[in-house]
Amino acid sequence: MKRTILLFALAMLIAMPIFAGAKKKAEKDTEHFRYEIECAGNGTQGTYLVKVWSYSKRPKVAAEQCMKNAVHGIIFKGYTGDNGCVAQRPLAPQPGVEMEYEEYFKAFFSDKGEYYKYVSLTGATQEIVKVGKEYKVGIVVSVQKDELRKALEQAGVIRGLGSGF
Amino acid sequence: MKKYILLIACVVCSLMASAQAKKPTLMVMPSDAWCYQNGFMKEIPDGEGHAKQIPDYEEALRTSMDLKLAIAKINDLMAERGFPLKDLEQQVKLIQQQTAEQNLVTSKSGNEMAESPIDNLLRVAKADIIIELTWDIKEQGPKRTLSYILEGKDSYTGKSIGGSNGTSSPSFSADVSVLLEEAVVAHIDNFNNRLQSYFDDLFANGREVALEIRVFADNAAGIDMESEVGPNGDELAEVIDAWMAENTVQGRFSKLGSSENYIAYEQVRIPLYNAKGVAMDTEAYARQLRNFLRKEPYNIPVKVLNRGLGKCILVLGEK
Repeated sequence: MKRTILLFALAMLIAMPIFAGAKKKAEKDTEHFRYEIECAGNGTQGTYLVKVWSYSKRPKVAAEQCMKNAVHGIIFKGYTGDNGCVAQRPLAPQPGVEMEYEEYFKAFFSDKGEYYKYVSLTGATQEIVKVGKEYKVGIVVSVQKDELRKALEQAGVIRGLGSGF
Repeated sequence: MKKYILLIACVVCSLMASAQAKKPTLMVMPSDAWCYQNGFMKEIPDGEGHAKQIPDYEEALRTSMDLKLAIAKINDLMAERGFPLKDLEQQVKLIQQQTAEQNLVTSKSGNEMAESPIDNLLRVAKADIIIELTWDIKEQGPKRTLSYILEGKDSYTGKSIGGSNGTSSPSFSADVSVLLEEAVVAHIDNFNNRLQSYFDDLFANGREVALEIRVFADNAAGIDMESEVGPNGDELAEVIDAWMAENTVQGRFSKLGSSENYIAYEQVRIPLYNAKGVAMDTEAYARQLRNFLRKEPYNIPVKVLNRGLGKCILVLGEK
């Protein structure tokens, strides 16, 4: 029994850094915009429906990162239009805004941080593609862009349409 | 003590209020092209014995549910962004009321006041930015696609602020109202991005306005734009040009045309606030020029006619 527990603990000790490493790598990928975001259709009022492709050695990590990447993409990247979709500019297009509000975004994009309030899975199936030594995972998510914009306006990251008047 | 605190609070509040730039008003209207395509035009005499076609907004709003839906949707989405719009239908009703009152006013020889519906609408609505809406449905067999254009126009300078347009993906089942609603929802953010860029430019480079200087015919002061005024014998037009160069943001303005009777300026960049930090519009700016001209050594009486947030006419020579 003792041996089993010891083996289990040892396995956990080995697995945890690997998992954490994959997670850390995925976080870094987000920071370096290493993900793809595309329109997945016209969302309901106040939302964008997007498909996000994330990369990781572990498909589960990539899938988790997709939600974070979707919000990151809507804020900083925007997406092109295709198949009847309308291209959208990022909510915060000013260059250097991510660095300027580094502390805010660090907290915002922390695990299950504030970003999590503005994104939800649509129930569509995941697409997993093996690319070299890692996996590319695509998920369709819905981002509540109106609420997200309000949060960024309140934080002073972006200006409201009526601000200054 | 309480009295002082209250006083300080009042001063701070008034300072904060005056530090806000004047907010432009926006209104959604169907474009002339849409009105023409859908038969919402009416004829008015152009004063030269011909009939002129102009959009009939009243009829369009009364009969087109799609138009009402599109306008309501845009109003709703803009209010969500903290920028409520003026409602065209309410403005049309106001015009009707005003027209009824104006019909009672006649000259001694029985002539009525002359005014085209668009002049009347803009005068009453005082919309600084007009958002023109156009859409068209194309049918290919059972498939329907909707082409859509939303374009913002500065009603005083006539400049396009920017717009958003596109074509929906073909649909077999959706009716026009659904396609239109989808198009409005999908395009409004792009339109608002253009609007935001316009506002950012306004804060950085000042408000762009138009100014016209005219003279009363046979005015009591006996002046026109070529009159030599002031100690150096400069012509009035030169004096005004020099004042404009000094009192615009980075000396930015364009002269559209001039003669001995008028000067028309456009792309005049006026500061958003005056020297006291109070928000300024074109009328306040025009009053500064009036004050300059009516003082020594010029002593020219000036009448200021306000044409909204973005245009003013100064008439020299008399009040």
